Amino acid sequence: MDITFEENPHATGRSRAAQPANVPDDRVYQVDMYALDGIEEGYHEAWKRIQQSGVPDIIWTPFTGGHWIATNADTVREIYRDPSRFSSEVIFLPKEAGEKYQMVPTRMDPPEHTPYRKALDKGLSVDQIRKVESKIREVSVGLIDGFAQNGACDFSEDYAHVFPVHVFMALTDLPLEDVPLLHRFAKMMTRPHGNTPEEMAAVLEAGNNGFFAYVEPIIEARRGGNGDDLISIMVNADINGEPITHEKAIGLISLLLLGGLDTVVNFLSFMMLHLAKHPELVAELKRDPLKLKRSAEEMFRRFPVISEARMSAKDQEFKGVQLKRGDMILLPTALDGLDETKNPDPWKVNLERRGLSHSTFGGGPHRCVGMHLARMEVIVTLEEWLKRIPAFHLSPGATPIFHSGIIAAVENVPLEWSAKN
Amino acid sequence: MRINVITREGEARLLHFTNGQTIMEALRDSGLDEVLALCGGCCSCATCHVYVDSAFMDKLPPISTDENELLDSSSHRTDLSRLSCQLVTDEALEGMTITIAPED
Repeated sequence: MDITFEENPHATGRSRAAQPANVPDDRVYQVDMYALDGIEEGYHEAWKRIQQSGVPDIIWTPFTGGHWIATNADTVREIYRDPSRFSSEVIFLPKEAGEKYQMVPTRMDPPEHTPYRKALDKGLSVDQIRKVESKIREVSVGLIDGFAQNGACDFSEDYAHVFPVHVFMALTDLPLEDVPLLHRFAKMMTRPHGNTPEEMAAVLEAGNNGFFAYVEPIIEARRGGNGDDLISIMVNADINGEPITHEKAIGLISLLLLGGLDTVVNFLSFMMLHLAKHPELVAELKRDPLKLKRSAEEMFRRFPVISEARMSAKDQEFKGVQLKRGDMILLPTALDGLDETKNPDPWKVNLERRGLSHSTFGGGPHRCVGMHLARMEVIVTLEEWLKRIPAFHLSPGATPIFHSGIIAAVENVPLEWSAKN
Repeated sequence: MRINVITREGEARLLHFTNGQTIMEALRDSGLDEVLALCGGCCSCATCHVYVDSAFMDKLPPISTDENELLDSSSHRTDLSRLSCQLVTDEALEGMTITIAPED
C-alpha cells in the first residue's frame, strides 16, 4: 500500500479539501483523478494502483474538492444500480463544477429521467443503429483507404479523433467544420483545467454554455420538421405526452454531442495501442470474423475510459462508513473491468473469456444510451482495418501520452505497417 | 438435458445444455452462429433474442429493467420475447422449445 500517504508528485499546486468529520483517517488516500499517480505508465495501470488488497471498498481523497472513490467491481456496480441511495443529482467532479453541468437527463433520477431517456433511445436503439451501419462503414473505409498505402499513421490523430466524430456529425446532420469547436467544449467539460474546484467549475460552465449556444439555433430549425437525423428525432419526441420544452431540448441535444464526441474517440486509441503490441491477438481477430464481432465486449471490459460520480441521496451507512447526503462518490469504471476477482487475469484480452464483468457503459437507469453505436463503431473499425492492414506495430520509440479525467485520453499512437500487405 | 431450438430458417434442432449455463451460452457452444450474442451475456446488445415456449413462461426468471429496455428496442418483440443470456438453464426447462427471433 505504498500509495496511501505518499505525496502525489503531479499534485503540486492542486488544492485539497479539509477532511470532514465523517471521514475516518484510515480511509484517506491521496488520489487526484485529473492527475493520477503513475499516469505516465498508462491510464488503466494508474487506476489499478489503487485496487490493492487491504484497500477498503470506498476511500476518500482530499483532491478535486474532496470525494469518495469506489475501489472495486462490486462497489462500482452497486452504486450505479441504486438511484434511491446514489443519486445523479450531481455526476461530475469537482462537485462545484458538477453543479454547473446542465445536460439533460444525466442529472435526473427516475421517474423524471424516464421519458427523456426514451427520447434518446428512439434515435440510438439497436435497430436504428443497424440502419446506419453502411454509413458508418463508409466513413471508416474512407479514412483507412486514405492512409493505408502510406505504411504509417498517427492512429489517435488520423483515425480515432476523426472516425466517431464524422459518423456522429453525419447522424446528426451537422457540418464537419464545427468539429474543432465542439471538441474544445467537450474537453472543457470532461478534463477541465484549473487548480481549484472554483477554477475548474468556471471552465466546465464555459464549455457547457458553449454547447448550449451552439445547439439553440439548430433546435429551433429542426423543431416540427420531419428530418430523420438524430437531433430531429429527439427534439420532436414527446415527454409525458407534451412536446419537450426548449430548455430541456437544449440540454438533451448538448448531451448527445458531448457523449458522441469524446468517448469512442479515446476508447479506440487505447484499444489500438494494445493491439499494436499484441500481434497474436490481431491474428486471432483476423482469422475468425465471428470472434472479431464478439471481441468488442472484451475490449470494452479491458479499456474503460469513464470515471463519473454519484451523490449520496441521504445520510446513510455504506461499506463501513457514514456517508452524508451530498457526499460525492467517484466510480472509476476501470476498477470494475480490471478487477481480477470478477475477471481473472484482467490485463489479458481473452477472446474466450466467459461471464465478463464491466461497467464501461455505466449501469442502472443511466446506462450509456450510445452503447449500440459504440459497439458498431468498434466492430466496423476492426473489420475494415484488418482487411486493409492485417499486421501493424507501434512505431519504434513512440511515447503515448495519457490523461485522466471524467473521460480518459491517450495521444500519440503512431502505427506502422508494411504498405504492401 | 436438452431443449428444442427452431432456427431462423425454420429448422428444428436439439440443444444440449448443462445446468447453470445460460441458453445463450448453450446456443453459442452448439455453433449456432446466427445467434450473434455480441455482448457475451452483459445484457447490453439484444442480439440473443429468442421466443420462448408459453407453457414455460412461469418457470423463467422475471425480466429485469435492462432486459426490458433492450427488448423494447427490437422491432420483433412479442409477449414471448426474452434475451437468452438472461435465461439460466435448469431441469425445469427440459423439453422447452425456443425460436430464434429475426435479426433486427
